Amino acid sequence: MRLGHAVTDDERLDRSEAVHVLRRAGRIARPFRRPALAAVGFIGMSISATLLGPVIVRHGIDSGITAGNRRELNLAIVAYLVVTVIAYVGSRQQYVYVNRAGEGFLRALRIRLFGHIQRQPVAFHDRNKAGVLVSRMTSDIESMSELVQWGLLQFVQATLLISLSLGVLLVLSWQLTLVALLVLPIIVVASIKFQRASNAAYLDVRERVGQNLSTLQEGISGVRVIQAYGREPEQRRRFRTSSRALYDSHLHSVKVSTWYFGLVEFCGVLATALAIGAGGWLVARGDVTVGTVVAVVLLLASLFEPVQQLSQLYNTLQSATASLHKLFGILDTEPEIDERPGAVDLPADGSLEVDAVTFTYVGGARPALENVSITVAPGERLALVGATGAGKSTLAKLMARLYDPDQGAVRYGGVDLRDATFASLRRRIVVVPQEGFLFGGTVADNLRVARPGATDADVRRALTDIGALDHFDSFPDGLDTEVRERGSRLSAGERQLVSLARAALVDPDVLVLDEATSNLDPGTEAEVERALERLMEGRTVIVVAHRLSTVRRADRVAVVDLVDGSGRIVELGDHDQLVALGGRYAMLEDAWRRTQSTSTGV
Amino acid sequence: MVEADDEGKSVNDGSDQGREKWRLLVDLLKRQRRGLAIGVFVGLLWTSGKVAVPQLTRMAIDRGIENGGSVVGWALLIALAGVVTGVFTASRRYFAFRESRLTETRLRERLFEHILSLHIGYHDRSQTGQLMSRSSSDLNQVQMFVVMIPLTLSNLALIGTVIVILFLTDPLLAVVALVPLPFVNWTARRFSQTIHPAVLAVQAEQAQLATVVEESVAGVRVVKGFGAEEVQAAKLRTEADDIQRVSLDAARVRARFLPAMELLPTLGIIAVLGVGGYRVIDGEITLGALVAFNFYVALLVWPLRTIGMTIAFAQRAAAALERVHEVLGTVPEILDPPDPGALPGGASVGAVTFRDVRFGYEPDEPVLHGFDVHIEPGTSVALVGATGSGKSTVARLLLRFYDVQEGSVSLDGVDVRDLAVSDVRGAVGVVFEDTLLFHDTVSANIAFAHPDASPDVVRRAAELAGAHDFITELPDGYDTLLGERGFSLSGGQRQRIAIARAIVADPRVLVLDDATSAVDPSKEHEIRSAMETVMRGRTTLVIAHRAGTIAIADTVVLLDQGRVVAQGTHHELLATEERYREVLAAMALAPAQEPGAPTTPGPAADRSSASAGER
Repeated sequence: MRLGHAVTDDERLDRSEAVHVLRRAGRIARPFRRPALAAVGFIGMSISATLLGPVIVRHGIDSGITAGNRRELNLAIVAYLVVTVIAYVGSRQQYVYVNRAGEGFLRALRIRLFGHIQRQPVAFHDRNKAGVLVSRMTSDIESMSELVQWGLLQFVQATLLISLSLGVLLVLSWQLTLVALLVLPIIVVASIKFQRASNAAYLDVRERVGQNLSTLQEGISGVRVIQAYGREPEQRRRFRTSSRALYDSHLHSVKVSTWYFGLVEFCGVLATALAIGAGGWLVARGDVTVGTVVAVVLLLASLFEPVQQLSQLYNTLQSATASLHKLFGILDTEPEIDERPGAVDLPADGSLEVDAVTFTYVGGARPALENVSITVAPGERLALVGATGAGKSTLAKLMARLYDPDQGAVRYGGVDLRDATFASLRRRIVVVPQEGFLFGGTVADNLRVARPGATDADVRRALTDIGALDHFDSFPDGLDTEVRERGSRLSAGERQLVSLARAALVDPDVLVLDEATSNLDPGTEAEVERALERLMEGRTVIVVAHRLSTVRRADRVAVVDLVDGSGRIVELGDHDQLVALGGRYAMLEDAWRRTQSTSTGV
Repeated sequence: MVEADDEGKSVNDGSDQGREKWRLLVDLLKRQRRGLAIGVFVGLLWTSGKVAVPQLTRMAIDRGIENGGSVVGWALLIALAGVVTGVFTASRRYFAFRESRLTETRLRERLFEHILSLHIGYHDRSQTGQLMSRSSSDLNQVQMFVVMIPLTLSNLALIGTVIVILFLTDPLLAVVALVPLPFVNWTARRFSQTIHPAVLAVQAEQAQLATVVEESVAGVRVVKGFGAEEVQAAKLRTEADDIQRVSLDAARVRARFLPAMELLPTLGIIAVLGVGGYRVIDGEITLGALVAFNFYVALLVWPLRTIGMTIAFAQRAAAALERVHEVLGTVPEILDPPDPGALPGGASVGAVTFRDVRFGYEPDEPVLHGFDVHIEPGTSVALVGATGSGKSTVARLLLRFYDVQEGSVSLDGVDVRDLAVSDVRGAVGVVFEDTLLFHDTVSANIAFAHPDASPDVVRRAAELAGAHDFITELPDGYDTLLGERGFSLSGGQRQRIAIARAIVADPRVLVLDDATSAVDPSKEHEIRSAMETVMRGRTTLVIAHRAGTIAIADTVVLLDQGRVVAQGTHHELLATEERYREVLAAMALAPAQEPGAPTTPGPAADRSSASAGER
């Protein structure tokens, strides 16, 4: 049973949408038209050859066996062998070419979609859940791969088979064909009904499987709570309920397909009965030969299966167009941040100037930042402080052009960041995110994310610059140590070191830091601190600070706070000035000091 | 991994393994023998219908068409055989699937129940994902095999009957017709065996591509920050190329086998036409018999193919059953004693004593050794220590998630090993560091320990835990669905639900595994006051991960290297213990965790850091 695919009413596209989607997919598939055409050619070849079989059998019976002519019989057998070999060759090649075209198309789609997602600005990623983007790239494309592997092949095959065998049948005997095809309406109606019922049944199964799996997962991951409270009996009952619901749903879907397959089987035999019944009469009248009756009966067998296949393909096709529609939805999103034509390189150094910037997140009711201006001199160290959600991180991101301001401008050395080439922007201004985010691969690979062409010597120098080379060299595989998925083999502190070394590899003029708040063990903490200090030396630094010690080392502090719901810089100055001012910063500093004194007991 | 870590205890030794796993299936199938018998019976009726059609066709041709007789009667008989075939095609499928789904369902329920009964030590070593795949994909493999059992039996009956009929009609022609057919079976089996690894390879490559996509999307700020789009795009191209390559490999496997499976029976038909044609001309057999031969050969194709597939399915099911059996064969280690004692009643209960406890997750790497603590009824103790000092382990021993290696843990003077497990867990309530809420209503989550608790009790618990106010603001109040697919609460709100849950349980002893660590600092005090409410007059063990939590306990126990190094009030220790000040300073290095940041994973992670601390 391959119920395989199903679409919900929400997903189902109307006709014009579907046509549009398919046409667009056709354009992407264009480069693969050669293998696609070859595939259609081979399918046509194998089907024509297959259909010739019964015609040859007729000849063998009528001119050979019934006439007692051995030569004709021999001829028929040789001819049958030849067409069989042709059908075999065609059908072997069709698999290869259909997949060449299909997998080529999927590969192109994957690369194109991923490239598009990557070109989108950070704001796009804020709006779209990571899980959704990942499932577009994986399950949505994979749901099409079945269409590519089987569906296209079967579709072309079934269509060709139905039309060609109808043609052959009519040529053999239109009277017999018409009689036998009396059952066709039954099959067509049943197929349409089955297609709808199986779609609904499969959706239900899918839903219940999901529920059952999440109950299962809840039970397994919640086993500590369950055992701690001795709640095993309830959990068993819960699981049993969901498991029985799934069973019922499976049974329903089996029933749906069962009557259909039974009916199709019956129709096949009924058509044979009709052909033989009518055939006997026609043979007696001398209208057709025995061989024709046999050939018709043999051909009928190849007529009903494709009808059956088409009804199931319809679900596959619908779910594939639904997936394509979602993918095109992403491809239609124009990147908001793109390099301007005639963009210039940022100058080698200069001050970073935020000029009357207002910025609102998409969907945000109020601006996250409103009319914010600040200039950071070359080599200056600026700390941004403020409550969570006040906008300090947003300000830092604007300064690195992870977002573009709605009003105002951010300039470096007098050049608006929007007019700068991406290459020079990433070379001059580097953001070091809060958590050291690592990709799968080796330690060295992870550094090279920052500068793909970097030599081993460059990589080692970057680590030396922050004083972390010895640490990684001490690993058994040194810099070639695989960090595993998300760097899970390294400690949090080591991940941060890699993250800092990446920045050192770029050797930027401006460093935008989002200070880590997570817990490190004291040993690594000190090592990360030292690395950070060395990285900051001689650079312009903007740091989103969470710790008093960091703030105290800054040249200037900007306090970001909400005024009428939008972030603004409310205080600006060095530590002593702001403490003396006795405002927002003084309060913050006081709170900071107190938490630290309860813990250190000073 | 489940397989690797449980050597010895979980599975019986190798030779028994093979038989054991099949016995697991056979026992289940025995329970379903009625359903399976019906499945086989309707399968035989299906066989009779299938076999009748070519015979009737033959007679129609020989006695009707060729001899100019009437064919209407024969046509009607064929149609009747069609009804039989149709009805039993349907019912044979229905029973086969019904029974196989039932086996799958029962096995899954049994597996789930067994997993729930396994000791926490087992769960700490195994991954959720693996147990999930035991219960989903492995059981699917078993189901796919079971469905084939009744189907294959009727297929075998069909093959046998057809072979007998063919030989009775014309032995020579029968041999000619049947020669290519074993190759169909052989090819089908080879195909199933060859395509399976190819399909797995495709899935593996798809998973690798998913990893690249996941990390690129999750790490978009790094990618953007360094302009590393091209690096990731190159990685993705490699993965997309790999998928294309292995998919084409799989296509080549299909190209090699599937057309061959079409080709072989056609060769049989051609041979029948040739040899049979001569025999008709020579008057040895009738034309009808020749046509019937053709039909029979065509009839055998599908059953032979599916038998080939069944063999491959059986091999996969065997591997799956072995993995399932490994889980089911694991014996729960924490069990009730043969003759469980009773906890003393009375007004002043809740005394907890750890006496000279030695315990390690690995037998020779003790996390606790010489651990001695006594908690008087109604008092509270905060356990303080560096990461890996064994704090959380203490709570696990008290709940009897693990048993001590030496020494004892007792509740009101009774060793926890002498009590029924349910009594221990009824007496000890716990608020875990990471709060797990179930996909159920708020009230059901609060009333977790006593599902039939009245709404008043639930509401009072929520009020005490400081959760009532936000609950009433939820869309459906106490009836709001929570959990993964329900309404998602903030870290602090989840903690308060967990505290309310502990209040409903009303335990003698409460364990608070620092419930504030996942909470926005500004909400910390609310949680703390909820905790204080619950603790009042109740023996409480607080596992403190944060400096602020320590203050709510009466006394502090400082844990270092698996033993108690100091005990006293917070201020006493602060004044006298250098190590205490160090530990507090380390805790304070993290003044705030970002709200919504992932909470520390459960004991498994804690354990690895624990052993790391020991080295």
